[in-house]
Amino acid sequence: MDSRAPLIVLEGVSKSYGALPILKGVTLSLRPGTISILAGGNGSGKSTLMRIMAGLVRPDSGTVTRNIDPAGMGYMAHDTFLYPALTAMENLLFWARAAGILSPEARAREALSATGLARRAEERAGIFSRGMAQRLNLARLIMGDPRLILLDEPSTGLDVPSRSLLREIMTDFRSRGAAIAWISHDLEEDSGIADAVLTIRRKTLSIEERSRPC
Amino acid sequence: MLKCALAICRKDLTLILSRNAGIMQALLLGLLLVFLFSLSLNTGDALSPQAAASMFWLATAFCQVLIFNMLYASEELCGARSGLLLLPAPVQSVWLGKSLAGLLLIMAAQCVFIPAVFVFLGQHLADGFLPALAGIVLGDLGMAVSGSLFGALAAGRSGRESLLSIILFPLLVPLLLAGVRLASLGIDPDPLPGDPLRWIGLAAAFDAVFTAAGLLLFPFVYTGDES
Repeated sequence: MDSRAPLIVLEGVSKSYGALPILKGVTLSLRPGTISILAGGNGSGKSTLMRIMAGLVRPDSGTVTRNIDPAGMGYMAHDTFLYPALTAMENLLFWARAAGILSPEARAREALSATGLARRAEERAGIFSRGMAQRLNLARLIMGDPRLILLDEPSTGLDVPSRSLLREIMTDFRSRGAAIAWISHDLEEDSGIADAVLTIRRKTLSIEERSRPC
Repeated sequence: MLKCALAICRKDLTLILSRNAGIMQALLLGLLLVFLFSLSLNTGDALSPQAAASMFWLATAFCQVLIFNMLYASEELCGARSGLLLLPAPVQSVWLGKSLAGLLLIMAAQCVFIPAVFVFLGQHLADGFLPALAGIVLGDLGMAVSGSLFGALAAGRSGRESLLSIILFPLLVPLLLAGVRLASLGIDPDPLPGDPLRWIGLAAAFDAVFTAAGLLLFPFVYTGDES
């Protein structure tokens, strides 16, 4: 397959919840080595679009084509996917084992170090602040070394250094050929690393390509 | 699929056994049932073996509802359900993992209920303990596979405890019937006439039907679609 071929393609995707239309005829593709920021007001359908891309929600019409193995996709949402009664290490080990990741302990330790949580490995996730829990969620995501990354408001609750860390990690993933879709409410901050800004307005999607500074 | 299911089972057992008081609630409810029935007896009296076996399965059925509510509720707390659905394994591995964890927890609870039935309800071991053991194993398996399927159906919905009981208890009737008849063989020196193999066959058929239903229906029951 062409290494520049899109990892995911949506064509004419529409979705309604009951009689309420959320998305109408959305078409987009995500290519390797790009970061696409997804913007739009509250309730505009960004999270629904992200869940459709992840395969968690079925569209009413249109097609979603993923040119990637399910193991190559990483999804990070506002929910942290953590078990508060388990330690940070136990949480990561569970997700690694369930996903069939090789050497789960080593990968979990690497991910904890990369997110600055190595010293908190044996603490229960339930006592973590929102920002720390989200960093642990980020560790869960990077353990799988995904090629298609879907981020649904990942910066929620993160302090300034953690946001920088998140951008740094995502920029690194992009340089290694990952395609990243990122819902952001902080366009000023996050669009600096974007290759495209996708805006949902009146249920439809507009795409603004950005040139990346060298 | 098996690796993923084992990982889910291991995580659930860690969560429930080492960090959660929920299993104690299930055990205490079962023990309370047995103990309260023992109060209806005069000193030195024993409950009939069929009634004692019914108490044992009643305690197990209540325990099953609490266990599967707990197992699925842990996935709703921080949205882990979406993470499970995105694992690179068939979604049935969640059903299988929860079934395995539920089976082990039900068996563990029964290790407490069985002595309680002997002590509080005045029962003694009889010759038919092998068919009784087969009935308990098949009954537990049926409770695990059906509980895992319907626990997923009730997960994330308001009033899930009552919803699970309402769905599950009517469906469990054939399994409970077989379980009671077989378990009573293990404590009844003068058992009711009838071929135990027919009851074992009924329990095995129940297990086969709900295992097939779990494998076929679980992807439609456990989804991320909120519409």
